[in-house]
Amino acid sequence: MKNENSNGFGKKLKTFLASNSVPIMFILICAVCIPISGFSISYLLNEIVTRMGRNIFLILALLIPIMAGMGLNFGMTLGAMAAEIALIFVADLQIWGIPGVILAMIFSIPISIVLGIVCGKILNRSKGREMITSYIISYFINGIYQLVVLYMMGPIIPIKHSSIKLPRGYGIRNTVSLLNMRRCLDNVFAVTVGGVKIPVLTFILIGLLCLFIIWFRKTKLGQDMRAVGQDMEVARDAGIDVEKTRVISIVMSTVLAGFGMVIYLQNMGNIATYSSHSQIGMFCIAALLVGGASVEKASIGNVFLGVILFHTMFIVAPSAGAKITGDSMIGEYFRVFVSYAVITVALVMYETKKRREKGKLGAQLQEDQEAEEKKAKEAKA
Amino acid sequence: MKKKVNVRSLCFKIGFILILLIISAVMLVIGRGHTIYLDNKKAEINGTQYDAYRKITVYVNGEKLAKLSAKDRGMAENMGQTFSMTLEYEKEKGDEAKTEEFTLKLPYNLDGIVVNLPALLEGVPQEDCMSEFVSLLAADDTEEEEEIVTDEFALGDF
Amino acid sequence: MNETLERTGFKGRVKSAIDSFGLPRLIIACFLLLLFVMAPIVGADFATQITNTLNRFSWNAVLVLAMVPMIHSGCGLNFGLPLGIISGLLGATLSIELGFTGGFSFVMAILLATPFAILFGVGYGWLLNKIKGGEMMIATYVGFSSVSLMCMMWLLLPYHSPTMVWGLAGKGLRTTISLEGFYDKVLANFLKISIGNLSIPVGTILFFAVLAFAMWAFLHTKTGTAMTAVGSNPTFAKAAGVNVDKMRMLSVVMSTWLAAIGILVYEQGFGFIQLYMAPFNMALPAVSAILIGGASVNKASITNVIIGTFLFQGIVTMTPTVMNSMIHMDMSEVIRIIVSNGMILYALTRKTEGSK
Repeated sequence: MKNENSNGFGKKLKTFLASNSVPIMFILICAVCIPISGFSISYLLNEIVTRMGRNIFLILALLIPIMAGMGLNFGMTLGAMAAEIALIFVADLQIWGIPGVILAMIFSIPISIVLGIVCGKILNRSKGREMITSYIISYFINGIYQLVVLYMMGPIIPIKHSSIKLPRGYGIRNTVSLLNMRRCLDNVFAVTVGGVKIPVLTFILIGLLCLFIIWFRKTKLGQDMRAVGQDMEVARDAGIDVEKTRVISIVMSTVLAGFGMVIYLQNMGNIATYSSHSQIGMFCIAALLVGGASVEKASIGNVFLGVILFHTMFIVAPSAGAKITGDSMIGEYFRVFVSYAVITVALVMYETKKRREKGKLGAQLQEDQEAEEKKAKEAKA
Repeated sequence: MKKKVNVRSLCFKIGFILILLIISAVMLVIGRGHTIYLDNKKAEINGTQYDAYRKITVYVNGEKLAKLSAKDRGMAENMGQTFSMTLEYEKEKGDEAKTEEFTLKLPYNLDGIVVNLPALLEGVPQEDCMSEFVSLLAADDTEEEEEIVTDEFALGDF
Repeated sequence: MNETLERTGFKGRVKSAIDSFGLPRLIIACFLLLLFVMAPIVGADFATQITNTLNRFSWNAVLVLAMVPMIHSGCGLNFGLPLGIISGLLGATLSIELGFTGGFSFVMAILLATPFAILFGVGYGWLLNKIKGGEMMIATYVGFSSVSLMCMMWLLLPYHSPTMVWGLAGKGLRTTISLEGFYDKVLANFLKISIGNLSIPVGTILFFAVLAFAMWAFLHTKTGTAMTAVGSNPTFAKAAGVNVDKMRMLSVVMSTWLAAIGILVYEQGFGFIQLYMAPFNMALPAVSAILIGGASVNKASITNVIIGTFLFQGIVTMTPTVMNSMIHMDMSEVIRIIVSNGMILYALTRKTEGSK
C-alpha cells in the first residue's frame, strides 16, 4: 500500500518535471549564473521589475492567437511596427508625456488593424503552417515598413523636424528620441520599496489587460476562438465563421502588440527605427516559452514566470560569460543562442506531440474500422 | 432582425471611433510640448528699445526655475498652450525687488519660443514679446549622412 | 466542366497561362526585363551589368541547388540552410588552419567540410523525421540555433593561424577572413573569358554545371525516383516498399552537403570568409531564388534553380545601379526584402497538391 503511494508520488514528480522541464532548466541556469555574474540582488530586482513593466504587455499579446489555435504569432512584429510609425508621428507633432503615449496608442490602432487583417487573411490561406507563414510575413512587412519609413517619410509623408529626418531630406534617422515621454507612464505613482522602483501605473495597465483576457475567454467570441483552436471542422459545423474568428484573433493580437510596443518604447526612451521591432517577436516568444507555455497552451502565469526567468538569464548571461571565459561577447551570443534553442525545443516538443496524437487517432480509427468489419462479417455469418 | 443588430453594432463602431477622435484631439492640445527660452536681454520691439534688467528670478509652479542676470537666458519646458510664471525682478541696482505674475498664451505651431522678459515687464503685449527660437545647429547642413543600421541578428538588449 | 469553359477563348487561355506561371513570377520577370531595358537608357554599361549578374549567379547557384533534394523528398523548403553553411565554414577555416594554400586549400576545404556536413545532416535529418509536417518552422530555428551556437564556438575553438585570429588577443576568429593566398577566385579565374567589359567566370559556372548535372542524374536513378515518390506520395511510397525515413534522411544530408559546398563556392567568388552572424539570413535568398524560378513547396527542378538564381541575382545586381541613376535613391535593399519574402509568402499560401 505504502509502496504504491510512493510510486504514485514518484510518478507525479516525474510528470511534473517532464511538463515543466524548460522553466526548471532556466531556474538552474539562473541559479548558476547569478552568483558568478556578481550583480547585487537589489540591482537584479530593480532590473527585473523594470523589464517586467516593459515587456509583459507585449507578451500578453501573444496569448490570443494561441487560444485560437494559430500557434505562436511571429506576426506580432507588425503591431510593433505600427507603434513605431505612430510614435514617429507623435514625436514629430511634439506631443509629450502621457498625452503623447495615449495619442501614439490611438494612432497605432488603424495601422495595426490593417496589418492584422492582411496577416490574418494570409494565414487563412496557409492553414497548418501558420507559424512559418507569420514569420515570413514579419520579414515581408518589415520590407514595406522600411520602404515607408526610409523613403516615403519626408517627400510623401510630411515630417517636419530635422532631428527626426535624415540630413538627406527623406527617411527617418536611426534613432528617434522620445526623451519627452521617457518613462512617463512608469513614473506615475511609482513606488520605491527597499530600493526597488515599481512602475505602478504600468503594472495597473498590465493588470487590466490580464483581466480583459480572463473576461474575454468567457465571452461568446472567446469561446468561439477556443472552439476554432480545438478543431476547425467541428467549429465550422457548429456554425462558427472560422475564417473571421481567426482574423479577429490576429487583429486583436496585433493591436495589443502595438500598445505593448508603445509601453516598451516609452520605457526605453528612444526608438531604434530599423531594429527595435526586428527581434521583439522572437524575444517575446522565447520568454513566453521559458515560462512553461507551449505552442497550443499558454496562460497569464506562464507570461509572468517567463519574463522573470528569461530576463534574469538575459541580464546575468553576458557578465557571467565574461567572468567564465574572459570574453564579454560569449555571454551575448549565449543568450541569443538560448533564446533560439528554447524556441526550437518548444517547437520540436509541440510537433512530436501532435504527431503522436495523430498516430493515436489513426490507430484508434483503424481499430474501430476493424471492429466494424468484424461485426459486419459476424452479421453476414 | 439581423439588420437591426448590424445598425446597432455600426452605431457602436462609429461612436467608438468618435470617442477615439475626441481623445486624440484633446491629447493634441494638452500634450503639445514647447520649449520656452526666457531672455533677460536688450531688445528692440516695435521701435522701442528695452534694456536688460539687473536681476530676474523665474518661478514656475512655486519652484525656482532660473535666476537671470543681465544677458542671461533661462529655459523651461511646458506642455499645453498656457504657461504661467512668477517673476521677481530688480530693474537697477538698489531697486527693491518686485513680483509679478504672468500667464502666457503660447502659439501652437512653435516648438521653441523666445520670450523677452524686460519687454514683458515693461508692459509690451505678450505676442510681441515672443519670437520663434531658431536653433543654430539646425541650420548646419554640413552634417554627415548616417548609415542605416538594421539589426537582424538579435544582438541588442530587450 | 467549369475549367474547360474557362480555358476556351483567348482570355481564358491567358489566364490559365498566368495561373500556371504564377502572377508574382511574371511580375518579377517583367521587372527584370524592365531593368535590362532601362540600364542602357540611364547610362549603365550593359556588359558590366551582365558580368555582375553572371558573377553573382555563379556564387549563389550551388546554394540554391541545395534546396532541391529536400523539396523532392517532401521536407519542404530548407530554411535550415545555415547548418550546412556552418559545416562549409568549418571546412574552410580548418583547411586554412592546417596550412593548405592556393587552389589546393579549396579541395581540402571541401574534403574537410564533408564529414561535418554528413554528421550535421544526419542529426538534422533525424530531427526532421521526428516532426514530419512541421519541418519548415523547425528548420528555421535549427538554423538560427546552430548559427548562434557556432558564434560562441568561433571564439572558443583553438584556432591559431595568424591569418584568421584576432591580432591582439591571439585567439578567436575574425568576423571576416580574407582568402587572398588561399582559394580566392580559384574557380572564377579558371578558364575565364574576358571580352572588353564582359567577363564570364566559366570555371565557377562549370563547377555548378557538374553538380547540377550530378543532381539531375541522381534524380533519375532508382534512389532518386524513390525520393521523389516519398515527397509526392508518402503513403504510396511506403506501400511500394520504400523506406521513407531513410530517403528523407538522405535528402537532408545531400542538402546540407550542397550547402557546405555552396558557401565555399560563394566565398571563392566573394574573396572572404564571413563568420559569426553572417550565415544567419542566408537561407531566405536561396529559398526565394528557387521559388522565383518556378519551384513550389514540394516541386523543384534544376531548371527552376538556374532560372531562379539568374532572375533573383539579376534583380539584386541591377536595381542599385538603375534605381540610383533614375531617382537617386538606393532602394535596392528594400526591394530585395520585399521581393524575396513576398515570393516565399506566395509559395506558402499556395494550395499545393500532396501538401500536408
